[in-house]
Amino acid sequence: MQTITKSTTKKVRHKKQKEVMNVENTKAQMRKGVLEYCILSILNGHDKYASQILSTLKDAKMLVVEGTIYPLLTRLKNAGLLNYRWEESTSGPPRKYYTLTETGKLFLKELDTTWDELRNATNLVTKNK
Amino acid sequence: MNKTVNINLANVLFHIDEGAYNKMRLYLESIKRSFANTPGSDEILADIEARIAELFHEKLANERQVITQKEVDEVITIMGQPEDYMVDEDIFEDEPRAARNEETRRVKRLYRDTELKYVAGVSSGLAHYVGVDPIWVRILWIILTIGSGGGFILLYGLLWILIPEATTTSQKLDMRGEDINISNIERKVKEGFDGVAEKVKNVDYSEVGNKVKNGGKTFFDTIGDIIMFFFKVFGKFIGIILIIAGAAAIIGMFVGMLTVGLLDVIRVPGIDFYAMVNATNTPVWLVSTFAFFALGIPFFFLLYLGLKILVTNLKSIGNIAKFSLLGLWLISIIMLTIFGIRQAAARAYSDSFEIKKELFVPSPEMPVNINLVSHKKRTNGRRRVQMDGLIIDRDSEGKEVMVLDDVDIFLEKSEDSLLRIEIIKEADGPSFDKALATAENIVYTYEVGENEIFLNDFLTTARKNKVMNQEIRVNLFIPAGTILKLSNEENYRCWRFHFDNDRNLGGCDLKDYIWKMGFDGELKCQECPEEEVEVDTDNRIRINADGIDININDEDGESFKMKINEDGVRIKAKDEEEGVDINIDNEGNKIQINAKDGDTTMKKTISKD
Repeated sequence: MQTITKSTTKKVRHKKQKEVMNVENTKAQMRKGVLEYCILSILNGHDKYASQILSTLKDAKMLVVEGTIYPLLTRLKNAGLLNYRWEESTSGPPRKYYTLTETGKLFLKELDTTWDELRNATNLVTKNK
Repeated sequence: MNKTVNINLANVLFHIDEGAYNKMRLYLESIKRSFANTPGSDEILADIEARIAELFHEKLANERQVITQKEVDEVITIMGQPEDYMVDEDIFEDEPRAARNEETRRVKRLYRDTELKYVAGVSSGLAHYVGVDPIWVRILWIILTIGSGGGFILLYGLLWILIPEATTTSQKLDMRGEDINISNIERKVKEGFDGVAEKVKNVDYSEVGNKVKNGGKTFFDTIGDIIMFFFKVFGKFIGIILIIAGAAAIIGMFVGMLTVGLLDVIRVPGIDFYAMVNATNTPVWLVSTFAFFALGIPFFFLLYLGLKILVTNLKSIGNIAKFSLLGLWLISIIMLTIFGIRQAAARAYSDSFEIKKELFVPSPEMPVNINLVSHKKRTNGRRRVQMDGLIIDRDSEGKEVMVLDDVDIFLEKSEDSLLRIEIIKEADGPSFDKALATAENIVYTYEVGENEIFLNDFLTTARKNKVMNQEIRVNLFIPAGTILKLSNEENYRCWRFHFDNDRNLGGCDLKDYIWKMGFDGELKCQECPEEEVEVDTDNRIRINADGIDININDEDGESFKMKINEDGVRIKAKDEEEGVDINIDNEGNKIQINAKDGDTTMKKTISKD
């Protein structure tokens, strides 16, 4: 009898642990899924260098560690959505200022629409819960 | 006090202390590795370095301040661990397939798949790596394990330790990666060249920051890349060879060690040869274990090196393990050396024991037969165990004895008319007394018949005496004028005979002839074919039953001819224009001398007329 209860609790705990892990994973994925959209939005209208983009994202708690952003910026640049130029800095190394390209602007516009739709849809679904 | 290093991060100079520098270097290297298969990795890395430079710059109050481990740790916390950079890959699955396939195909890495594990996931990991179903790898393991008597279990353990477990999602993806097949390899080779080509192209327009380019550097960089590419291909090949050699040697030795150890435990009766050779009573399992370590550890490092070349993400076995293996190896070598020295010391002294006996007076007319008797003949092929010159048999009292074959027979001249025999027994041991005792324990028998001597070509001694280089030397002293015949039976150990003879023949050529002991102690061959010494077809010195025939010609027309036979003596010598001819004719009963010197000639004939 004793052993049976023990084993069941063990199983439950094991399951819970798995669920917790999944939640973390999903959270991170959700956050990162919109990261591209956020970066493009931040650059809309103003050219910014990496640290500025980072501080905006960190203030909004979109990012935990900074490293994540660099492969993303390169990916967006390679996809032709971003461009950059070098500018000397008075304090520290030269800075890479990112700017939206025409394609990037169109892309962002499309994402804006998608995001609105998605937000409405999510609101609808979650309210009816 | 700490040493500092100057580093250039995004073209800014920093002073960094040594510990912090090493940490930073490792961090950047691991990031670089995690981006190895991502397009634009150089750029990403440059951006990251620039950001790190910025962060350092913010943290330092002035330019003379040195970056310490603390600052590096803080920066790493901000930037994130290498895994954090990689997680990106997983969520951008929806990128256009074609583009993705072209550029970000994963290089397959070897991991243990603990999700599909039976023991530790080694088989499933290997299966992913070679692209087959794990069941086949498992079946192969089982077959090889049974076939090798357990040797492969050792290899499994090694792989378990060395191959890292796939824990993160990206490692799991790496593990499955793309299959390794011909078309992929072809593509890899092509990509290798493309990569080199791309680097050349990039140089022209990638004006990163204030970097100043010089053309020479890029040219040599390109050549370097090409050379590195071929080295990589060659390296993999070497890696495979090292793995095969290392694994085969380790498994072979492991099986050998187990076998020797088991034989010692089971004690197969009769074939306990080790105990007879082992003079120091060192347990066999100890020797075999040390031998296994002494030989196996270097091979283990070969195997490890091969795996390291082939599998880039191999875990390090750690310095502690490396040094303890090295220590174990040194200890094994030292212990084996000590065993060796003790073994040699047990045979350092040598002593002999002599027996002399007078046999009989041989008559000069009757030949004396000297026969060698083999062990097989003496015992009529009775039950025995045999191995490499060492035979175990039971003597007439039923005790087990070793039969050794180190017997040599020397024929020498006797000082009087008596045929004598002298038997010298020799053995080694740790002291003179023990060597002498071992020598005395050698049993050697012979029989004397009428004009016949039967000598054993083997010696026996009790098993407990061990193999101590026991030897028998038989000296037969033979009166001058005695005719000898050597036996010529099957399995005849002819090389056991030694004696001086007028034909300079060795042991095995002696048995074909009849010999006669000369007064000078040298045996004279009876009825041997005449010696023939032939220089070549033109020049010859021939001595045979027909007489002596010498014919020497050199290139300038000088010659010397001499014939001595039953017809007489004829000598001819010629030196360009001078010549002499001497003829002693037996049938004509005359002596003739002709001489010639240029134009003048001289002729003289002496005859009975």
